[in-house]
Amino acid sequence: MKELKKLLDRIVQRVNINLRELGYDIEPFVHGLIPLNQLVKFYAFYGITPHHPLDFQFKHSNLSGSYFLGKCRVTNSLLYKSDIRGDELKQHGDMFRFKDLEILINQDEGIDIEDSFLIKTLVHNYSHDPETLEKFFIKDTLSTHYANIHGSPSAGCFLGPFSTVDLTTIRDCVIGAYSYVQAGEISHLNIDPGTIWVRSPDSFNFLYRYSAEKLSNYIHFTPGASPKGLFMDFVEDRKKDFQRVFDVVNIESSRSVPSNSSLDRYAVIKPHTHIGENVLVAQRAYLQNSWLGKGSNAQENCYIINSRLDGNNVTAHGGKIIEADLGNDVFVGFNSFLRGCPDCRLIIGRESIIMPHTIIDIREPLTIPSSHIVWGLVTNQKELEVNSMPIKTFSTIDGLFSKGDMLFEGRGADFVSAFMNRIDHILKANGAYFNGTEHKGHAQKNQHISFNTIQPYPVGKLEGLYPTISIQP
Amino acid sequence: MKNFLVKDLMVPLSEYATVPEGSTLLEAVMALEKAQEEFDFEHTQYHHRAILILDSNQRVIGKLSQLGVLRALLPKNDSIRKIEDIGRFGFSTKSINSLRQKYQLEAGIMGDVYKKAGRMKVEDYMQTPSEGEYVEENSPLDTAIHQLVVGTHLSLLVTRDGEIIGILRLSDVFAAVFHAMKDSESDR
Repeated sequence: MKELKKLLDRIVQRVNINLRELGYDIEPFVHGLIPLNQLVKFYAFYGITPHHPLDFQFKHSNLSGSYFLGKCRVTNSLLYKSDIRGDELKQHGDMFRFKDLEILINQDEGIDIEDSFLIKTLVHNYSHDPETLEKFFIKDTLSTHYANIHGSPSAGCFLGPFSTVDLTTIRDCVIGAYSYVQAGEISHLNIDPGTIWVRSPDSFNFLYRYSAEKLSNYIHFTPGASPKGLFMDFVEDRKKDFQRVFDVVNIESSRSVPSNSSLDRYAVIKPHTHIGENVLVAQRAYLQNSWLGKGSNAQENCYIINSRLDGNNVTAHGGKIIEADLGNDVFVGFNSFLRGCPDCRLIIGRESIIMPHTIIDIREPLTIPSSHIVWGLVTNQKELEVNSMPIKTFSTIDGLFSKGDMLFEGRGADFVSAFMNRIDHILKANGAYFNGTEHKGHAQKNQHISFNTIQPYPVGKLEGLYPTISIQP
Repeated sequence: MKNFLVKDLMVPLSEYATVPEGSTLLEAVMALEKAQEEFDFEHTQYHHRAILILDSNQRVIGKLSQLGVLRALLPKNDSIRKIEDIGRFGFSTKSINSLRQKYQLEAGIMGDVYKKAGRMKVEDYMQTPSEGEYVEENSPLDTAIHQLVVGTHLSLLVTRDGEIIGILRLSDVFAAVFHAMKDSESDR
């Protein structure tokens, strides 16, 4: 365990050195956050499929309870119950478009994690940084519970719980709890908790900031304590359901799914759940008494409970949908929390966009009309009117526009079309459009995965460390 | 150019505008006005642009610049801070100005802004001089020019045995350089 402690201290020091300009010390946040003895309890597992390069290298690291797929390297790092999902990495021979350039990818891209501590973090997608196309790096970074590092190389950063960095290279930044950042490239910024920021320079800029007081009911993170709030309670309450799927090595699925759909063996499926065609259910997804229509998906850390998704519904990483009915083509962004109740269901009309990190938490029935875009905190009809707009109207914005706590600058049409294109890309990547022969995606490619487990040293000086392992075809 | 030393161009502390700590901005501005009136403009056409803040031992503890005084006019509350903070997120200056004006209009906060600012304390708006803002009185002017340019300062505090004895103003240094340029041209 001594070596594990040394490793943790070294990572904290490296992150702090990078954050010195911001005057930020992560030590009080990290101290005791995950007791080191937790790190020796869980096995790590990596998937093998014929569709993804088999290339893993683990060195001087702890990988407890973490999942790996695709080309990954982990050095001098601690990964606790994290998902390193390399099934969207660029491959040798691909062309990467950046502005007017087409750049040839000359080797398979890999996720490269070094000197970092990731806690229950999802790493997915591919590096969107044209300066580092073949290496999706995460170094000197500490991310906390349910953070998403999505297509975002990171160096010297601290990510709060339920935060997301999406398609953005981040350097020497603090990303506060439940903040969502999609801004291309940022450095030396301390982003307050609950900041939702989507920027495409010269095109649009969207900013919404949660009231600190209201957000703290859902998530708050203070030095010396674990993250607290309704989000944490919600996942903790369902933790036991995951234990069985992780405890049993060869689990037999009692549920049959269509041949063109994929149900990960590390997902929890409770009774009365329907999985339609071309559906992707990723590991650590939780489904209960719900209907997933054709082409829908549930990504990592998604919870879909007592709900109906008509079809082609994207529920991005960490999205939670409870007591809700979603029409076709509704998009629910990262870590959104949509909660109706049995006598007050949440109804979302078709083709609506629920922005990443949106909270809809109602105690009275609420209907979101079709083709609307919704952001921020909505607990009733009045707040819905402030924090939503018809997509068509949003598209007409040109210049500076504000509504409630949302501020927008630029062309609304560009913002909407960026979202639409992204949603279409996600559906395509997930295999929602598979017709039996063409347009295979994750729902079809991730079906036949065999998982191999690896374990750390059980005792001694190296207790908790995994031996250096290199896995090649 | 004549081999000027810093002390040749400095304004002695006794001729500069100074106020004791604890003074209001209005008192500082009045001291500046008084210093201008009493200043000997025989050798320079430039006015003073700052006020030095002295502690009870007559030591300089800060410098209040024109910008410092103007800063006191800017409204300060959470809403304004939030608007200013938007700059970090890449919003244009035009948009930030427009939001600020809209807010000030709605909140009606421009009314007695001058009166309020005049009552504020100098300590809240002065700047504590940094290491690069001190220059020894016998230093050559080149040294002072280097410090002014690299640190983008409008003046330097001139010291003798560690005590501040005067202020070297950018305007006076510029005037000396300007005359030297003209002289070198006419010497050809």
